[in-house]
Amino acid sequence: MERGRRAPYWALFVGPYGAYLLVFLVLPFANVALLSVYLHSPTKIAVAEFTVTNYAKLWEVYYATLFLRTLRLSLVVTLVCALLGYPLAYFLARSTSRIMTLGLFLLIIPLLVSTVIRVFGWLVILGSEGLVNQGLRLLGARESVRLLYTEGAVILGLAQQTMPFMVLPIMAAIERVPPSLEEAARNLGANWGQMFVRTILPLSMPGLVSGSLLVFSVSMSAFVTPALMGGRRVRMVGQQIYEEVLTAYDWPGAASLTIVLSVLMLVFVCLALWATGRRARLETAR
Amino acid sequence: MAGTKVELEVRGLTKRYSPQVTVGPLSFEVMEGEFFSLLGPSGCGKTTTLRCIAGFEELSEGSILLGGQRLDGRPPHRRDVGLVFQTYALFPHLTVFDNIAFGLRLRKVSKAEIERRVGQMLELVDLPNLAERYPAQLSGGQQQRVAIARSLVLEPSLLLFDEPLSNLDLKLRIQMRYELRDLQKRLGKTAVYVTHDQTEALALSDRIAVLSQGRIEQIGTPSEIYESPASAFVADFIGSSNLLKACVRGDGGDADTAMETEHGLVLTIPRVADVSGATVMLLLRPERFQMAAAGDGDKIVANRFTARVRDVTYLGEDLHLRVLALERQPLLVSIKNSKGTRAIVPGAAIDLAIDPEDIHVLRR
Repeated sequence: MERGRRAPYWALFVGPYGAYLLVFLVLPFANVALLSVYLHSPTKIAVAEFTVTNYAKLWEVYYATLFLRTLRLSLVVTLVCALLGYPLAYFLARSTSRIMTLGLFLLIIPLLVSTVIRVFGWLVILGSEGLVNQGLRLLGARESVRLLYTEGAVILGLAQQTMPFMVLPIMAAIERVPPSLEEAARNLGANWGQMFVRTILPLSMPGLVSGSLLVFSVSMSAFVTPALMGGRRVRMVGQQIYEEVLTAYDWPGAASLTIVLSVLMLVFVCLALWATGRRARLETAR
Repeated sequence: MAGTKVELEVRGLTKRYSPQVTVGPLSFEVMEGEFFSLLGPSGCGKTTTLRCIAGFEELSEGSILLGGQRLDGRPPHRRDVGLVFQTYALFPHLTVFDNIAFGLRLRKVSKAEIERRVGQMLELVDLPNLAERYPAQLSGGQQQRVAIARSLVLEPSLLLFDEPLSNLDLKLRIQMRYELRDLQKRLGKTAVYVTHDQTEALALSDRIAVLSQGRIEQIGTPSEIYESPASAFVADFIGSSNLLKACVRGDGGDADTAMETEHGLVLTIPRVADVSGATVMLLLRPERFQMAAAGDGDKIVANRFTARVRDVTYLGEDLHLRVLALERQPLLVSIKNSKGTRAIVPGAAIDLAIDPEDIHVLRR
């Protein structure tokens, strides 16, 4: 047999999913990219006539604000998830296997419920006649407080939705740090805080970065949660794209929004990977 | 050598995990500069004891004193006790230099002073050129040295070792054993060493505490532990041994007592008090048997008997024999390899003798 002529073995492993991605992701995305430089026509949706107007209009205050808000909310959600998720991940990683299994199960339950159902749960709790406001009224409040359709509500909903994506990678990273390292640090004179900052935190950094990237990406492209919990007041890019496609029939406009959103996410992901990759290279030194 | 001042005092240390699983109460003292080992099979409580001293386990009862100061109740980072881990527990994200400097930085030692002391430590453990390496780039033996240097640089009053050599291969283990012993003597550090390896404990220690099921069986120097074990457990755990159940057969006179094993081998031992009629255990170390050649027939009279060789294990320096004395009593015998031992083959009959002084009576 001619060894050189055989297909490299990795093609067998990567090939099927690669083909799937090519057909259902790369090609449609290329189509979107193409659409984003086509001219919008109120009657024919898009005309094959190249233009940059779709991008130029994104500099308008409305769109700039929209992107900044999306970016800001996503960063806040990432921060909230990191602050709430890290201690949880540490606790689970250092628990007995029984508690860990139970914890993982509870953590993943929200993912088993459809986003729409979960958000309606929030509506019941946060609505003007919702549980919180009823409770406040029982305590003597005259008027109901606006909880829904605020940035807080969107952050709350997105943080809950994305929490497992933060906790799981951090937990996996902490599990790989042997408890004897913590003890060694304590033995060398570190109190708990110093031990944490000097050993656990740097050693779990890859997990924290992966978790943050996942949470950030999911939040940036979120649609259902901000649409239902933020309404018109707290609009994010996903909802804008949806409306431009289905309500305004401005497909080229929606396409340009999609491209800019994707590029923005890619830039952040690359920055994070570059920063941690550099760190990892420094540590392992070849 | 070990001083006369008590450095570490463990009083009635008890750790209860559950009513069934309890360690202690254990009490022992370690002198200043002494190398003290806790030796026992896994689950005997030796590691628990060490972790109690380091502060990673809380005592259920008892107290620990270091240099006269109560240690128990203090958090692990304020104990002035250095612990060397079985797995080394080096920080993988820090260089050798930063690993050793870890404790000094926490103590806010000046940069120049850190440079000096870490450099000194690297010289001491013979790794001067590896300061910028990461732990993953070091061999097991080198990692072990870094772990020791990391503890030593803080000049703790007490060094604790948790089976530090058990992850090394045999040759390196023996080399590190010498180095460790050397280092400890040179620095005069008090050390508590946990191991399940009896040869290691014998080779390294000034004194050994043999533990079994959460209790101390015996504390003594290596030769005391080996030569006159306090119990059948100690005899069996330290070295290989023949433990024979025997009862007093008759008084051979003022000087000797005759004992008969359950398989009918009669052995003379130095006179022992208050054993008449009692069943006791006799300990015969395999290497204490002598081959009696035909020529020296008259010189050895006591405890001489014929034995049938069942099998021979050739170990180079030594031959390990399993024999049947008087065709009845199974014995383990270790003989130095020499010209005369060539005739020893399975099935051969040999003459064996053992000095009465080499037979020990164990009361429990």
